[in-house]
Amino acid sequence: MNRTPDQIPEQLNPRLPGGFNLPPFGIHQFLALIIVCVSLWALGVMWLAMQAAGQWVGSWQQDIHLHVYLDSSKSEQAQKLSASLSAIPHVESVRKISADEAAIWMRSWLENVGLEQKELAHRLPVSFELTLLKGQSEFIFSDIREVAERFGAQVNEDEINLAQAHQWLSQLSYFAGVASLMLALAMALIISNTLRMTLLARADEIHLMRLLGAREWFVRMPFILEGILLGAGAGVLAWLLLWPLVWTTSDWFTALQVDLSTWGLLLPLLFGGGLVGGLGSVIATARVVSSQSTS
Amino acid sequence: MVCSYRCRMAHDQPLIHMQRVMLRYPTGKMALSGVTLDIFQGQFIYLVGESGAGKSSLLRMLYGGLRPSSGILNVQNTDMRAASEVRVRELRRRTGIIFQDHKLLNSRTVFENVALPLRVQGWKTKRLIPRVRKVLTYVGLADRLWSYPEALSGGEQQRVAIARAMTANPPVILADEPTGNLDIDTARRVLDYLMALNRQGTTVIMATHDLHLLESHPGRVVQLHAGSLAVGDL
Repeated sequence: MNRTPDQIPEQLNPRLPGGFNLPPFGIHQFLALIIVCVSLWALGVMWLAMQAAGQWVGSWQQDIHLHVYLDSSKSEQAQKLSASLSAIPHVESVRKISADEAAIWMRSWLENVGLEQKELAHRLPVSFELTLLKGQSEFIFSDIREVAERFGAQVNEDEINLAQAHQWLSQLSYFAGVASLMLALAMALIISNTLRMTLLARADEIHLMRLLGAREWFVRMPFILEGILLGAGAGVLAWLLLWPLVWTTSDWFTALQVDLSTWGLLLPLLFGGGLVGGLGSVIATARVVSSQSTS
Repeated sequence: MVCSYRCRMAHDQPLIHMQRVMLRYPTGKMALSGVTLDIFQGQFIYLVGESGAGKSSLLRMLYGGLRPSSGILNVQNTDMRAASEVRVRELRRRTGIIFQDHKLLNSRTVFENVALPLRVQGWKTKRLIPRVRKVLTYVGLADRLWSYPEALSGGEQQRVAIARAMTANPPVILADEPTGNLDIDTARRVLDYLMALNRQGTTVIMATHDLHLLESHPGRVVQLHAGSLAVGDL
């Protein structure tokens, strides 16, 4: 039904393109939101896993010591062994643990079972405590083993395993960073392609706006805003979807003495999503060239 | 004589000044060759000539869609060969353009189509509503504000295009065969609107094949032939 001028309301809200007016939200945008949300969720899970692993290892990674044991029958070699261990690069210090200290520790570890401290001190091997420098070299553990074997001593292999786990975790966090970067790039391309489709669908409108003298920011702003909102929206959605995972695994993490901070991921996912969306939209709009551009 | 010419130029600067303008497309085809022409404020210009004579190319140069290959082209104090993109955009905001194929946005209402130039110029919605309504009332389409262009006849679509071109009240309107696909009566009515705008001081430059319109709507005729100016003023 056509309206007469008298029927035209004074206050109306026409859908005018350009500037800060967002383009309509369609199926392409919805699909991009879902795909980016899934990617950000995977990223969030990875970050939570790194956080959990960091906390789990963190209880001992700050103070890593290795112990080397020399049979008490070879105690005359102790001084040479200590000097050789100290000479290994990346070994910060070597401390000889006195027999009494070792016996006290052993008694407490064995929960004061009926063992005499003197007897324990007599039976226990000569112990050395090695403190390692941060940023250990690749071959430090084999160097320590080699020196210990030369003097007929033994290294506490469990401690070495833990120290190596710490190294692996550091490498894993590096790979997590690379994976995050690659996922971010993939998400930016997904958003970029979605916006590209929208741009192609609205090519006539963009072309006409340029013919009418629209500034470039005026033409591109709606798409950049849409990209940022898509990314940020997907980030918030991904963050919300992390909660069921955290709740279902909470008992397991409590047993490992890990306390995950899901709230801490809200801002990284929100702003990270927005940043990735902005990047995608800038990529998409950078390629929009009108046949009637001024140059 | 020299002094009087200079004095005239100083006080009566042409709105559009062309001197030996040449346009060659990247393909090598020469679209315009040595066109020298002055157009003054308030004139109604008919650009006539056979298909391929260079009418549309000339119009496109006047809004910066094409840049001259050589010569001097000055439009509204803008040197079109050297103008930056910013200057060209400013010029386009001061120019109303009516395209042969209308270039109406079919996904937008008549109101939104006509409001677009104002929107591009940064008008707030509240401010542009009365202006758009006034312009559409002027072209007799006040009752089609909420229609979509596809629902309109060819003549109505052309009137929407005219309304869009005049809505920002530009000093120049460029019209590329606005009556090309219309019957004689509708074409005359469309021309009536353009003539009325011209009487209000707007310079109108219109490319056309319809020479019979000159009888009822006289104006200055610029004839192009194979990219060159054939006849200055008829």
